[in-house]
Amino acid sequence: MSFCQLSGLVAAIALLIGCLHQRVLAFPVDGDQTTLPAKTELNEDALRRPREVFHSEIVGRRSELIKLGNLAFSSPSILGAVAQRAGISCETCHVNGAGNAKFFVPGMSTRPGNFDTTGALFNPKADNGALDPVRIPSLRGARYLAPYGNDGRMASLRDFVHNVIVNEFAGPEPQPAILDAIVAYIQDIDFLPNPSLGPAGRLAGQVSESERRGEALFSKPFAHDPSLSCATCHVPSAAFVDHMQHDVGSGGLFKTPTLRNADFNAPYFHDGRFDTYDQVVAHFDRVFELGLSAQDQKDLVAYLTAIGDGLQPYEQGAGAALKEINDFASLLTTAIPAGDKDVVALAVDTIGGELRELTERYPDRKDTSVSGGEEQRANARAALKEIVLLLRRIDMAVGEGRTADAAADYRNYRHLMAAAIPSLLASAERWSLFNATVHDRHYEALRQVMQSRHMSQ
Amino acid sequence: MIAKRAALTVLLLTLAVVHVAPSRAADALADAAERYRAYAIEGIGSALAGARTLRACAAAKDLAGAKKAWLSARAGWERSEVFTAGFVPELDAQIDAWPNADSGFHAIEAKLFGAARTDVERDAGALVQHLDELHARLRDMPLSPQGLLDGTVRLAYEVGESKADGGESRISGTSLDDMRNNVAGVEFAWRTIFADALHAADAKLADQVEERIAQLKAVTAAPDLPHVDVRALRRASEELVITLQAASSKLGLRRPTLEAQSR
Repeated sequence: MSFCQLSGLVAAIALLIGCLHQRVLAFPVDGDQTTLPAKTELNEDALRRPREVFHSEIVGRRSELIKLGNLAFSSPSILGAVAQRAGISCETCHVNGAGNAKFFVPGMSTRPGNFDTTGALFNPKADNGALDPVRIPSLRGARYLAPYGNDGRMASLRDFVHNVIVNEFAGPEPQPAILDAIVAYIQDIDFLPNPSLGPAGRLAGQVSESERRGEALFSKPFAHDPSLSCATCHVPSAAFVDHMQHDVGSGGLFKTPTLRNADFNAPYFHDGRFDTYDQVVAHFDRVFELGLSAQDQKDLVAYLTAIGDGLQPYEQGAGAALKEINDFASLLTTAIPAGDKDVVALAVDTIGGELRELTERYPDRKDTSVSGGEEQRANARAALKEIVLLLRRIDMAVGEGRTADAAADYRNYRHLMAAAIPSLLASAERWSLFNATVHDRHYEALRQVMQSRHMSQ
Repeated sequence: MIAKRAALTVLLLTLAVVHVAPSRAADALADAAERYRAYAIEGIGSALAGARTLRACAAAKDLAGAKKAWLSARAGWERSEVFTAGFVPELDAQIDAWPNADSGFHAIEAKLFGAARTDVERDAGALVQHLDELHARLRDMPLSPQGLLDGTVRLAYEVGESKADGGESRISGTSLDDMRNNVAGVEFAWRTIFADALHAADAKLADQVEERIAQLKAVTAAPDLPHVDVRALRRASEELVITLQAASSKLGLRRPTLEAQSR
């Protein structure tokens, strides 16, 4: 690549980043009294969330170890003080084990979907003095994707998780059991199934002509070096990786990312510089002088889209939230009789936080952007608040050694969560933020209020 | 119908553990509730005075004065939330609407603190009118101990909500002040209305209430919102609510509800 070409590329990327930066909206975190910088976007208001598929549930059920790992993964308390105050957990970036394409922290991100893990915000000691954010990866299929880190610097997932907690987020030294549990949880997150993929990573089922041509191009040797093709690194297989690092003209050696479920993993490349497969294919065409025609590029994109697909990538509604909450709470079945104060406290704090967030999905009367269903919303809010308090009573009882009282409250919790709570939430759902119309109206109102602040700045 | 039956089920279940015993202290509690009236009148009166000053400053295009008056009015309102949450929750939509700031405090906040504009005369006028009406009603409104316990518990729970996004008053940067004023309101209601009666009925439980209020005060004494220990705040808030719920039967009152319409 000539200097002029390089300059042009840098300028184009800078322009792209600039444009994207302007698209970042100033909510929901805002004001000058927040732990995270104003205009931080966590995407916690998203109407739908990535669907999580667990390997163990395909073959049986999730173990307590995996559930504990999922709980800890969702808890700010395993991270450092800044993350705790901001309510940030591993789950904030890796939503339901996937990525977070909208995540953006001014000063720590150069575009939505990336984050500087060696910046000063969460751990000043980890600050390397450079703004070098990396893409937030999906963790789906992580057990097939060693080594870990965008540059593949760690062979062990356990070491990688430890580094994230202790060094990147300044958390306390995790208990070995918690670390094991988080690793077990991450290793249990499966790829979304893709019926378009057959054995050995071959396209299967109804395949379009364009996808077939793309599949052939994918394995076609590069003109300048016949020992190479796309498939050399993205080996058509269960994961489309070679577990190696390569220089593909993006500024260093980076490990081959998986193409499985990649339709939902944008932005692409180690720093998230590309939004689309078109941009990715154009990059390889340019850097490796592939001489692809416009049709070739379309065919490759069609192929990537086919192998990057996944069934039911998103889920929506209170049901999914309640399922996760009940999974977490099921840990109390053994933690209460065992008097395990640490696990009970972790569960109560984490579930309580999620229940409080769920409560806010049913707007109270102050939110005049929502009309109707006032009684249903109030009942839903009251019921969720009672559950928060029921869990806190369990925490208090276990803390005071009253395990029989805690067990009685837990039975009550399970009873209520089995039918009454889901029914109350369902009756209020059409006036909740799970309804797209209500959701949009609510956040439009919030956005307008926030914009008034930035108009004067 | 299924949903309504379910709603009834959950409420009955949560209420099932409560015994409402006749209390000899009922009259004393009613008298104590009456003593709270002066505090509520003062708080709403302070909010009203602030709103009037705000209206005048807006008319004079005095941005600095208007902001100061808004803060004063806001403090009076937040101190009185035990009363407003327990007795006039419907006013929230007119006076404290959020996030759609079409009217009330946050509409004015967005213009003054957000856009540095003083064209809030109409909104300030409406705020004055609502507060004036409430101030007048307060003189004759029955203030039941039950309503005040409901309001105390609702506010104690609300204090524990996360403000990581900047909170409700994020444009003026005063969400922590809101919390401190809420805690002050909770503490005043406790001391004025319920403390003596509960100390007489169950001194240990009364001590536990005071311990949790002290914890809330300590957590909200943080220098600024980003340094509030959210976990400790939530714990203290929820434990205070649970303790007050336990106290309700000792006081001869019903178990307080957490939302106004859900009784």
